Amino acid sequence: MERHAQHAFEAEEVMAYLDGELEARRAAELAVHLVSCSACQEVAQGFRALSERMLSFEVERPSPAMNARVLAALDSSTSANQARTSRALDHGAWNGRPVFARPRNWAIACVVALVVTLALAIPHTRRAETLPASGRNLRNLVAVEPGLAKSQASDLEAQKVTPEDDVQSALAGAPPPPGEELKAPENVGPMIVQTASLNILATNYDQASAAIDKLAAAHGGYVEKLDAKAQTGNARELTASLRIPTKQLDGFLADVRKLGRVEEETRSNEEVSDQYVDLQARLKSARATEQRLIELLGTRTGKLQDVLEAERELARVRGEIESMQGQSTILLHRVNYATVQVDLSEEYRQVLGSGPVSTGSKLRNALVEGFRNLQDGAVGLLVFLFAVGPSLLFWLAILLVPGWFAWRRFRARAQA
Amino acid sequence: MNSDDQLILEFQQGAREAFVELFERYREPIYGFFRRRLEHPARAEELAQECFLALLQNVQRYEPRASFRSYLYGIATHLVAAERRKAGREVVENEKLDDRAAGRNAAGNHDAGIWLRKALGHLEPSEREILMLREYEQLSYGEIAAVLRMPVNTVRSRLFRARAALKNQLLPVK
Ligand SMILES: [Zn+2]
Repeated sequence: MERHAQHAFEAEEVMAYLDGELEARRAAELAVHLVSCSACQEVAQGFRALSERMLSFEVERPSPAMNARVLAALDSSTSANQARTSRALDHGAWNGRPVFARPRNWAIACVVALVVTLALAIPHTRRAETLPASGRNLRNLVAVEPGLAKSQASDLEAQKVTPEDDVQSALAGAPPPPGEELKAPENVGPMIVQTASLNILATNYDQASAAIDKLAAAHGGYVEKLDAKAQTGNARELTASLRIPTKQLDGFLADVRKLGRVEEETRSNEEVSDQYVDLQARLKSARATEQRLIELLGTRTGKLQDVLEAERELARVRGEIESMQGQSTILLHRVNYATVQVDLSEEYRQVLGSGPVSTGSKLRNALVEGFRNLQDGAVGLLVFLFAVGPSLLFWLAILLVPGWFAWRRFRARAQA
Repeated sequence: MNSDDQLILEFQQGAREAFVELFERYREPIYGFFRRRLEHPARAEELAQECFLALLQNVQRYEPRASFRSYLYGIATHLVAAERRKAGREVVENEKLDDRAAGRNAAGNHDAGIWLRKALGHLEPSEREILMLREYEQLSYGEIAAVLRMPVNTVRSRLFRARAALKNQLLPVK
């Protein structure tokens, strides 16, 4: 491995290559290099052998008993939905072929098919609409850091954090960004939610787009959403929504500005101290209510009616507490992580339009465009097939069945 | 075939079969996850169940940020951490791995298995965890980063260190 250090490729890159984690261009270079370099071949072989050896840590399969509890829990949690879906699926008429021989039955079947198609299609279109929205609203959703959950718990009720609490907090959101933990900035001045947006014209688009998430990570932030657009004949565009620790915001913006020419930059601040204080106060009083109700239920001296009433009330208060905790977490996350919107576009068109262009670059531009057209065409065809394919097959099947029956009847009559 | 991420969203909207499919896909991997990290098979099975129950109970709060796999293994990782804290002795990991090696094992791989577990036991815990997530759970660097809450670059460099260390541990066996 020492020998290898002088190489164009480090052993770590060979490893990343084997794991399928090397950036595409570098991976292609390494693949070529591997053909002729015995030192790198040896390194690669070493990693492969190690992975193979690790397979000797075998474990037995889980017992079937494991299924029972999980599926029982599933049924109790989705019994309502289940009833609905199984009723929709239990249309036994589908398997009897003669059913379709009568035109009346066929008409009924067509109507049923139409209804089923609609029933299947409606939730799909609804999901297609809601998905991007939920992506955009991600910043408004809960992303609980374990550190935050702890500091909240200790601040608000000086309660010991049990492992279960910890697990719960981890479950509340997808993994949070790496880096420093969130803290409630209590008694340290106003709480401010910061947002920034930058429009950048990149001189080297590939480099700049690859640099964005690295820059975010380097400043302890993360990419919330990333959209890349490449339309034929247009410059490529990339829109990234990033979350950057507020303290790192200035440094991050300074680095991003270096990616190209800044066309537009906006920043805004929103003070949320009052909102936070108010939320904490309401949370505190809800907790006090919860405590009183627990004590009340503990004594259980009242009538059954009162006990039931208290239990209902307790459930309601707990729901409220949970919701306020969620809001408070969101708020803290927004204060601690600024939202940065970066719009990166390529200077592709400008190069074409500016004055006399050499034959070489004309050819190159044509080639680039041609390749992109090809790519777009292929992608378009795939998209079309995915979008239309299933329903095409479905209707084809439905229409072919009566055709087949008609043909059979016709042939039978001809023979007779 | 639907992706995991599609299935969990479908389940979120009430499709029971989507969860059954996910459970089918991850039943054995999740059990294996706990089994390789805990001493007792019975406890591993309990925690595997708990992991799926947690997934069920929290499905309404699931948001598609990282991959579903990193979410699921994030839950599993937390359950293991909680379990170790409860046991109050995280450090005797080496012995645990050795014990397991001495115990049940597929006949053919017996020796190799023991040596490997011993060697794994000697790795630095966070490096071992990264290596195991990569080799046994087959997570990508990005997914490991999401599960363990560290930058992707750190995952890569620690994984490299772990593999180099494991190779050294295993060398004398040859
Ligand atoms: Zn080489």
